[in-house]
Amino acid sequence: MITPRALLEKSAPLLACIGLLCVWQVASLTLQTESFPTALEAIRAIPSILGDKESLVNIGASIRRMAIGLSLAVLFAIPLGLMMGRIKGVASFFNPLLMIIYPVPKAALMPIIMLWLGVGDVSKTLVIFLGVSLPIIYHSFQGGKAVEEKMLWSGAAMGLSAPQRMWRIVLPSALPEILTGCRTGLVLALITMVTSEMIARQSGAGNILFNALDMAQYDTVFAMIMVIGAMGILFDAAFEKLRGRLVRWSKPQHDMPLSFS
Amino acid sequence: MSVVSLRSDAQAGSEPLPALKPASAMIEIDHVSQRFQTSGRQSHLALSDINLTIDDGAFVSILGPSGCGKSTLLYIVGGFVQPSDGAAKVKGKVITGPGPDRGPVFQEFALFPWKNVLGNVMYGLRQQGVKKAEAEARGRKLLEMVGLKGYENFYPKELSGGMKQRVAIARTLAYNPAVLLMDEPFGALDAHTRTRLQNDLLTIWERDRKTVLFVTHSVEEAVFLSDKVVVMTRSPGSIKVVVDIDLPRPRKRAELLLDPRYQKYVVDIEKLIDDTGEDEIHA
Repeated sequence: MITPRALLEKSAPLLACIGLLCVWQVASLTLQTESFPTALEAIRAIPSILGDKESLVNIGASIRRMAIGLSLAVLFAIPLGLMMGRIKGVASFFNPLLMIIYPVPKAALMPIIMLWLGVGDVSKTLVIFLGVSLPIIYHSFQGGKAVEEKMLWSGAAMGLSAPQRMWRIVLPSALPEILTGCRTGLVLALITMVTSEMIARQSGAGNILFNALDMAQYDTVFAMIMVIGAMGILFDAAFEKLRGRLVRWSKPQHDMPLSFS
Repeated sequence: MSVVSLRSDAQAGSEPLPALKPASAMIEIDHVSQRFQTSGRQSHLALSDINLTIDDGAFVSILGPSGCGKSTLLYIVGGFVQPSDGAAKVKGKVITGPGPDRGPVFQEFALFPWKNVLGNVMYGLRQQGVKKAEAEARGRKLLEMVGLKGYENFYPKELSGGMKQRVAIARTLAYNPAVLLMDEPFGALDAHTRTRLQNDLLTIWERDRKTVLFVTHSVEEAVFLSDKVVVMTRSPGSIKVVVDIDLPRPRKRAELLLDPRYQKYVVDIEKLIDDTGEDEIHA
């Protein structure tokens, strides 16, 4: 049974999207500028992008780089963050380094990286890796630091060695915090992906966008923005689903039996 | 350390006990002191020259004001903290680290939140290489024993404090440690739950008589449960007196509360604690 209220709650995101498109449409019709196509024009340009084989190859290449950069970052940042969280020496060594690196826009390093590694996949993947690593390190660090010492003692009494405790107690108990970092990382991966392709124009979703901009195909530009935005929503939703499964234990499923002491 | 026996005929002549093991030393604490570095290059003496022998199968409580180092003493026996001076031994071997012969139960429960109730109880067994099916069977049996049948698939987040502590006790009993180290295990529970868990712990303990080292600041709890009560002084913690509790077992709460001997122990120990200038002990 779906109540009208539940229906409204369910359809709220869709209504928000439609509302945004309406505002866009009206604004565009009012302003009448060539560089600001109407929402309908932009939507109409989407099939031509998604129907074009070359565009799809480009978008596929973007996603591949993003996936590789993100995966490498996860493999590197989680162990580092957790070790920083558990071992004081590691934290005091890396913390100042990360403090320096944190505010630097990773895309700003792109020209130098291109100089060293060329304009190909390696440079772009590296920039994505750099952009994504920091939030994951930070959250893994916080998560690792917050692990209850008594929990580790309990594990030690059962005979778990220090590396086993890291892998089997610190990692799972920090997982909710780690995954919060990964979610931020995922969105950042998308952002750095597009930025890197803006700077090193060769292939990718960003390349389609900026090429269209150069050729004054504004409907394609806006269509591409929508495609990238949709990708972001899709990835985030998929990740949230995965996260929900992995840390199901951190949210109560059963009602607490109050009568029981 | 002075040993005062409020009843000199302690142990001997009391009611015949089921499966009473011959008294041999399970834990020996030998001239243990503990110093902590505090900020500003100062050091704080938490424990001062502790000597204590705990017999195999004995239920021994450590009673003392907050900050007297009683938990630290338990952590030293657990091997979680290394003493600055002296040594603690279990079965004659110097303790250098934690081990499955000494199972801790903490006030904070310290359950693994990502494992369900059964998974928590099976954890130590699996770690010791027990086959899954066997570990599961033993886990279920233990959960039944602590009154949590039907909660196997619950996650710790979904349990009340009392239930969590039941799981923690089952989890520790599962790998069958020779010694149970209980660090104010019922300190975070409400009075009613606390009473129920004390009763259940006593029933379980009277069945298999493990050596128990039990830290608490409730005098009643200590007298109700223990064979011996170790009263500690305020910081730096040292042993003020060891009181033998000569009350028959199995103990029934309802009978004990009316028993003048029980009442005398409680009053006498409270007086001992008052002498140390203690104002934080709550009955």
